[in-house]
Amino acid sequence: MLEKNKKAVVAVALAALATSAGAQDGPVKVGFAADLTGACAALSEDGLNGAKIAAEEINAVGGILGRQVELIVRDTQTKPDEGAKVARDLITNDRIDVLTGVCSSAVMLAESAVSAELKVPFYAAIGSTQRANIELFQPYFWQVQANATMEAYAAAEYVAKKPEWEKISALGSDYEWGHTSVAAFTERLKELRPDIAFADPIYAKVGETAMAPYITATLAQQPDAVFAPLFGPSLGATLKQGQGFGFFQKTNLVTLMTVDTLQSQGASMPAANVYGIARAPFFALEQSPEVTAFIETYRAAYGEYPTDWAINAYDGLHFYAAVAEKAGTVEAEAIIAALPQVSFDGLREKGLTIRALDGQMNAPVYVGKAAKVEGYDFPILTEVEKFEGAPLMPAEDLILQAREAAR
Amino acid sequence: MVLIQLVNGLMEGMTLFLIASGLTLIFGVTRIINFAHGSFYMLGAFLTYELVPLIAPGTLWGFFVAVAVSAAAVSALGVLFETTVLRRIYGKDGILQLIVTVALVLIIRDLVRMTWGANSVSVQMPDALMGALVAGNTYFPLFPIAIFAAGLTVVFAMIWVIYFTRAGILLRAGTDDRGMVALLGVNEKLIFTAVFAAGAFLAGLAGGLSAPYGEVNYLLDTTVIVSAFIVCVIGGLGNLYGALAGALVVGVTKAMGVMYFPRLSMVLIFLIMAAVLIARSMGRQGGPAR
Repeated sequence: MLEKNKKAVVAVALAALATSAGAQDGPVKVGFAADLTGACAALSEDGLNGAKIAAEEINAVGGILGRQVELIVRDTQTKPDEGAKVARDLITNDRIDVLTGVCSSAVMLAESAVSAELKVPFYAAIGSTQRANIELFQPYFWQVQANATMEAYAAAEYVAKKPEWEKISALGSDYEWGHTSVAAFTERLKELRPDIAFADPIYAKVGETAMAPYITATLAQQPDAVFAPLFGPSLGATLKQGQGFGFFQKTNLVTLMTVDTLQSQGASMPAANVYGIARAPFFALEQSPEVTAFIETYRAAYGEYPTDWAINAYDGLHFYAAVAEKAGTVEAEAIIAALPQVSFDGLREKGLTIRALDGQMNAPVYVGKAAKVEGYDFPILTEVEKFEGAPLMPAEDLILQAREAAR
Repeated sequence: MVLIQLVNGLMEGMTLFLIASGLTLIFGVTRIINFAHGSFYMLGAFLTYELVPLIAPGTLWGFFVAVAVSAAAVSALGVLFETTVLRRIYGKDGILQLIVTVALVLIIRDLVRMTWGANSVSVQMPDALMGALVAGNTYFPLFPIAIFAAGLTVVFAMIWVIYFTRAGILLRAGTDDRGMVALLGVNEKLIFTAVFAAGAFLAGLAGGLSAPYGEVNYLLDTTVIVSAFIVCVIGGLGNLYGALAGALVVGVTKAMGVMYFPRLSMVLIFLIMAAVLIARSMGRQGGPAR
């Protein structure tokens, strides 16, 4: 009798083992809940293209822990509630191992909350709000690019080195990113250059394209340079409309300038006095064999140069693969434990790591001068200065203080 | 600076008027609120983007020809839409109009995205309109001044057509009393089609003219339609002069607001809109397109 029971238990245990082994044999599922339509569409598409190449490369050399990588792509429509819904569906129905793909900060925070609740790793490679690292940090989250505060700090470091700039204005998009960027930039620049005078910041509504009144109001402050956390249509409109007001004769513009912006500006880019902050400008990376091979593969596949978004999404998936290899499994707790132990050589640079306290990668920020150069049919950034990520990361005690204050 | 800001406001107002005038014209006659008006604007901009390099890139005449051809093409599309779809729903429930015109918005948006992708494109500005008139340290940008002049020409052309031509008389009559016009043996359908063609033409024209000054992408449709509705609410839907006044008020208020109350510049416009709605409970319906 006893013997019989024993046999039954063994049989059940064996069956259980067999099913779990079955799951281990299937593909590693990467849930790509991306903002493929709506305001973030262009950036998200580039990110997806980069991730696809990374997945193919990983699969070509045997996958992650011997398992193939499968991208499961869903559209969030750049809506936070839709993003949360899609993330939840990917986790519960598709049983994904990791979640990524998001672009908009708002969608990113919504997906991060789902990742925390259902305990599935989640990383951001486009959206970069520092709130995900600081106030709203959760242990299953990391981001593989400099967050918005780090970018603003890099801009401040760059501006501080221009002794002839003594008065600074700010012209930003009127939402969280614009406001926190201006605050971080001002804070760091005040430390570096107490002599600089700051004018009252001016904010334009998100997506504004009639920038002329804002340009005029900014010029009325007579600044030596304008820090402008604007993006997309508002930025493009400022570059075009500013020329009619002598903006680029009277002052200098320091703004976000990723490869897609440089491409869409084309011949309309002002000839001088535009300084761009970038995350992964392909032309300014160290042209290692890996970088040139990626650029060629990308061009062959999509007929254009890779944007910052494509490069970071590519690096992001390769980094995840490295973490999973280190952990020896894709199980969530093991991934999170292995996360800070991995030193990763990406396209941007070698030795990229994640800080456990806030899930932030020590990713670099690039600042350079926009100019037309032989060999490209769009302007690029020249005299690019690379700011290492680590010194830009907010100090640990400041993060703890900010979290305490938010509570 | 105040002067430049005033000019900025007037120039933005003129673009808004070009967009809103077509919307209000179509509503005045057909009583259809055409949500796809912003889509026509967007198509005008994308077609101009395609045509400028083909005709005579960089020249003034090449740009205006490209814009005119684009507007005509958009107008033709408008006629196709009016005769095949819209004609069937005149006088029907408002919700049906909403469904049909919003469906067109979604269809055009997806087609545009399939054709031109999700990234913004730039339209080359004519060389002659680049840069600015410089007086001392003050710059007056040439391009928006030229657009303002073009807009003014359109305003005068519209006034002439509406007041001094037979088509204008029929249009005004059609607005006042559709039934009577039909009883008098006028082909009412033709008036509707013509008005829709004109409205779509204006939208395409506005899109083409504004294209080099901003960013052209597949999200332009909704951006534009919202501003156009604000203008129409202030001016009264269906009222052409109201649209002109509304557009200039919105443009100037915004520009001055940015200068003096940067935190309130958007709120100011909505405050004016609310005030108009309270003062004139007819605001939404507006007067006839006289």
